[in-house]
Amino acid sequence: MATATQTDGPTKFSDRIEPFLAIVGPMVMILAILLFMGVAEPARYFRLSNLNLILLDAALYMPMAMAMTFVITQRGIDLSIGSVAALTSIIMAFLIKQYGFSAPVAIAVALVLGALFGLINGLVITKFKVPDLIGTLAMDLVYRGFALVIAKGLVLARFPEIMTDIGRGQIPGFIPVPVVIGLLTMALGYWLLKKTYFGRYTVAIGSNPEAAEMTGIAVDRYKIYAYVLMGASAALAGIMLTGKLNAIQATSAPYFNLHVIAAVVVGGTSLFGGRASMLGSLAGVLLLSMMINALVTLRIEFFWQSVASGVVIVASVALYTWLQKKDRDGAKGFLAGLKTPESIRLLRLSGGLVAALALLLLIGTLFAGAPVASG
Amino acid sequence: MSLDENKSGPLVTMRNISKRFGGVKALTQVDLDAYAGEVLAIVGDNGAGKSTLIKILTGVYQPTEGEIFVAGKKLVMNSHSDAIDEGIDAVYQTLALADHLDPASNMFLGNELTRSFLGITMLDNKKMRSETERVLFERLGVRLRSLDVPTSSLSGGQRQAVAIARAVYHEGLRVLVMDEPTAALGPQETARTLKLIKALKEQGLAVILISHSLDDVFEVADRVHVQRRGRCAGVVHISQCTQQDVLALIVGAEEAA
Repeated sequence: MATATQTDGPTKFSDRIEPFLAIVGPMVMILAILLFMGVAEPARYFRLSNLNLILLDAALYMPMAMAMTFVITQRGIDLSIGSVAALTSIIMAFLIKQYGFSAPVAIAVALVLGALFGLINGLVITKFKVPDLIGTLAMDLVYRGFALVIAKGLVLARFPEIMTDIGRGQIPGFIPVPVVIGLLTMALGYWLLKKTYFGRYTVAIGSNPEAAEMTGIAVDRYKIYAYVLMGASAALAGIMLTGKLNAIQATSAPYFNLHVIAAVVVGGTSLFGGRASMLGSLAGVLLLSMMINALVTLRIEFFWQSVASGVVIVASVALYTWLQKKDRDGAKGFLAGLKTPESIRLLRLSGGLVAALALLLLIGTLFAGAPVASG
Repeated sequence: MSLDENKSGPLVTMRNISKRFGGVKALTQVDLDAYAGEVLAIVGDNGAGKSTLIKILTGVYQPTEGEIFVAGKKLVMNSHSDAIDEGIDAVYQTLALADHLDPASNMFLGNELTRSFLGITMLDNKKMRSETERVLFERLGVRLRSLDVPTSSLSGGQRQAVAIARAVYHEGLRVLVMDEPTAALGPQETARTLKLIKALKEQGLAVILISHSLDDVFEVADRVHVQRRGRCAGVVHISQCTQQDVLALIVGAEEAA
């Protein structure tokens, strides 16, 4: 039957390594941190107990990064996860401390509630057509408000052993329990992405919403699924946080949103949809935890972490956008892409921004008051 | 009007099709015949009713008046999926491809093959890949060097082939409508797409081609159906006329003269 044979196809090296590119970026940055710390503070950074700390911190963000990978791939965003984590764990804590629920039941309730809050987010976005940015930002206020109403200023502390096992337990001679939980959720995410309708349609929706609609995919339904997964994952993170600190309060987990979004975006999942990398998200989570730990190890003030996270987000989104544009323009090779007039202008601009940042850094270190104990 | 080589009669017959949108008459009593193993081109100016006509054939619109028969059976279609069930499908100019997914995922988008493992249903990526490879080669003569790349990295003609493969994978497909398939392609890719159309015709499909390019039409089509201001301005055999004749029908020069 064959009447025409077309055999020319893409064999470019860049096409074949494309799926692995996402992981290369964070890996290079991880290596950079390792090298830098290897010179600056090798003794304290590479201590086994410190590596354990890094993993313990990263584990907390793994479930959320997994779910956020789906949400962002669908061109969505969820800014309410910190509040969902806080509210669900506050309710769980009250169930355990005040109403005598057994911990496993309370944990299950928290997870179901998280999924329910995610469902509400999804419905607000798909049915009421509230843009995801505004919708989840507003729901963030709602959930945080409820958490404050319920807990007031209380700090709920001292939970049954199973909670602390989840949050900071150590498998003897192996890695901490939360790391196992985190890695399992990442593996589940990888499977969902590659092997299920949900994963396939998530990429299709983010890649070309009109085409997804035309081929009969229930776009709204799969968007809602992603937010439900996000809500349940945020609740799981809240449970792990409660166990890790053995305490919870209404104002806990304030920076979850941006930290998780940063990890996912650094990992190569595109904010413009369609490009998902679960391995990249895992690498992104590890990278951020290593970076923050490095800042702590270098005895840099806590508040600089916020500056560093913001810079990393902006830098990585800008870099990935530039890379995509370079590919679209058909520039051959990295260096050739840098030599276009527009890229040179961009380079000058980024040079200026880096200089401004360095100046701020200098001012910051000169004028920052010595840390004093409050109260 | 029937061709000698098609004594069995037309596969698709549209009779007295009219379509009004509110007060606007998009189509007025249009007849259309399409034969199996034939390429019928539909040409006409913008607003001549080409798109409306094929959207009625593919079930997207319902005609205000008129009837549609396929192989002698009268069809009432309320949606595009009704048309697909009757073996009528369309490949649109935009192709409806998700560029980040590989060709196999695109070919089976919305219609994935699955397998069961320990009672859990999951996508059968391996089977979808081999089926994609088979359909692309056996039906369209296209062999991609790699099926592991995002569809965005394929050439325009290859992307077209993936979109066509999605339509022809349906075993019952009898009528394929192609809306401006070469509009966004360079000369080389256009030639390849026209080859694909010829291959589909040889496989016994009725191909309905909408095109602005008379060069393409004269390259692949057997007959041309000319639309003008919502009416059929004439149906001519390619072998019996020139591009000038068709152009005259499109702009209505004969009437004016």
